[in-house]
Amino acid sequence: MSLRKLLSSAALAGVMATGATAQSDGWSLAKAAEPYKGTTVDVIFLLRPGYDAIEAMLPEFEAETGININIIKSPYENALGEQVRDFVAGGDLDVALIDLVWIGNFAENEWILPIDKFTSNPDLADPDLDMDDFFPLVLNAFGGWNGVIYGLPVDNYSGLMFYNRCMLEEAGFDGPPATWTELKDVYGPALTKDGKYAFALQSKRNETQSADSFARMLWPFGGSFLDADFRSNLNSPGSQAGLQFRQDLMQYMPDGIVAYDHAEVVNGFAQGDIAMITEWSAFYSSVVSPETSRVADCVEIAPEPMGPAGRKPALGGFSMAVASQADEAEQAAGYLFIQWATSKANAVEYIERGGVSARQSAYADPALAETFKYIPALVESWQDGVPEFRPRFAEWPEITEIVQEWGTRMMLGEVTTEEGATEIGTRMEAVLEAAGYYSGEKPLAQ
Amino acid sequence: MRGQVSKRTIFAFVGPAVLGLALVGIAPLLYAGWTSLHFFNLTQLRRVEFIGLENYWTVLTDPSFRQAMGRTFFLLATALPLQLMLGMGIALVLHQPALTILKTLARLSLVLPMATTYAVVGLLGQVMFNQKFGVMNQLMGGADINWIGDPTNAFIMIIFWDVWQWTPFVALVLLAGLTMVPGEVEEAARLETKSWWTVLRYVQLPFLLPGLVAVLILRTADTLKLFDMVFTLTRGGPGASTEFISLMIQRVGFRAFNQGLASAQAIVLLIITIVLAQIYIRIFYKEV
Repeated sequence: MSLRKLLSSAALAGVMATGATAQSDGWSLAKAAEPYKGTTVDVIFLLRPGYDAIEAMLPEFEAETGININIIKSPYENALGEQVRDFVAGGDLDVALIDLVWIGNFAENEWILPIDKFTSNPDLADPDLDMDDFFPLVLNAFGGWNGVIYGLPVDNYSGLMFYNRCMLEEAGFDGPPATWTELKDVYGPALTKDGKYAFALQSKRNETQSADSFARMLWPFGGSFLDADFRSNLNSPGSQAGLQFRQDLMQYMPDGIVAYDHAEVVNGFAQGDIAMITEWSAFYSSVVSPETSRVADCVEIAPEPMGPAGRKPALGGFSMAVASQADEAEQAAGYLFIQWATSKANAVEYIERGGVSARQSAYADPALAETFKYIPALVESWQDGVPEFRPRFAEWPEITEIVQEWGTRMMLGEVTTEEGATEIGTRMEAVLEAAGYYSGEKPLAQ
Repeated sequence: MRGQVSKRTIFAFVGPAVLGLALVGIAPLLYAGWTSLHFFNLTQLRRVEFIGLENYWTVLTDPSFRQAMGRTFFLLATALPLQLMLGMGIALVLHQPALTILKTLARLSLVLPMATTYAVVGLLGQVMFNQKFGVMNQLMGGADINWIGDPTNAFIMIIFWDVWQWTPFVALVLLAGLTMVPGEVEEAARLETKSWWTVLRYVQLPFLLPGLVAVLILRTADTLKLFDMVFTLTRGGPGASTEFISLMIQRVGFRAFNQGLASAQAIVLLIITIVLAQIYIRIFYKEV
């Protein structure tokens, strides 16, 4: 254990032992919130375990501060649209929930405020905030844009391999595949039989296609969306190798995989029909709960397999940032809420309730890793993650639509991987050109 | 008598309706027209600029738009004839004398599909056409048909639901038309011939034409703006196999946030709808 982690753990233990958030220098959450008692903070939450965890902890925050948190629940697919419309119309949202691919968009439109506006205010900033305690990759990728931190990571994902140990053992394997090639060539034929499938890659035509399917196969094989000049890199040997691999791997997936979203893949795994899936850490609680999983006792977690270019696991997740459209009181109250929800002091409880924290200190306790089997793989994955796994600039909403359409067409065999990559590349470059990246009007963002 | 009504009174009666129509119909249309002539992306509002007809050029040269339009008309060309044939059959059966109670029950049950919310139909479809536990595969003897994940099957599924939901509407409209046929004329025709087709073609059909034209116009417009059911059922997938024109407009306008391009697409769609309605009226009303 590093000295920093040791010190962080000691500090955390100290805070938990006192059972209060009062600090030695006199700062306390209740005192900081005193001027904002009665303020209502509007925030969008997703219908996912990480948000249920915060909601379950919320009464404690509201009782201590007198601040009311008004949660507007939304499925992921609607969350961006709802927020964009709210910000464009000058609506009521006080806290923005930002997927890592939305951060450039939100920051460039100045819909969110840099976090230092609040962290530099001693009345609001918790002395134990400890920004260095966040995994650097996660903080910068989820909450940062152009070197400025806007949001604090709240619902954090890395792609992990969920595998059914019982099915693998039955087929003669004593562990998961180490590489993607091994998964396809060795595990695929052995595990695909009798209505069971070796693997399922969620590929529905929405952000799932772009993030969980298309991008997941680019990076481990040495590919990427863009090259250093911001031109399409999808016809490069690495990108093509990854996309062709995806086509070849489909023979070991259920029919109609292009209609599978997270729910279908997780359910298929939980029903024992699929031996391995690569899914976000956020779905861990669903597959290990006997209430929602028939294979709860067989679930094991490993990092995603490696490709020729390394592990390069999928990276996704959210941060919460204060909305610029909120008034001063709502901004301050919103910040206090974000600070509390992402705090070191609450990280362990957040994990225990089904969330995935970005606090390094929270994972220092070996006992926690024994209870939550995803932790070692998650921590390892966040060392190898690629921040630009999906480009995070403002034009991503337009580009992801292009990737979704042509990525799915590739999988259906309507176009070859070369043809599809050419189509995506041409259309993607047209969007980037219109945005002014090639004329020098906008700097090459990543 | 009309001369005795003051202009103020006329305005008081007609004015609110005209004003309401202008507010909810004309104003958004004019705004969409303005938007369609601009680069107007909700996430890049600082870059709003007049670009003339560029959005229209993009629409007309975009193969994805043409494919979506082709898909939409293919749906219309397959679902509408089925609805007309089945609807006519149901109307003729319900027009027969006797079995009054059964006919009343049948008429009432015809309303149920129409009364079901479009989005709910899509959600029902997701469950009923599920490959593993869906009732459709069970009814087909435990078949293992992948309805939602296969492009062709997904399209067939959309046709099925559209026919299921809107055949009753066609049947009720045509049944109303049949009741307009004077009883003595129909009775006299049946004494002249035993051919039901002859009675239908020369006696009943002229009374059905206004209803048929209304059905054609309404169902065409409905198909062109078909959204909710498909969105909840397939979301336009797999691939783009069920991405009809209104789903494409929603995707461009509210997921890619390109409101300018989406407005241009919507206005092109509006023009096509108006032209089709005019064609229907000119062709079919000539025969009335």
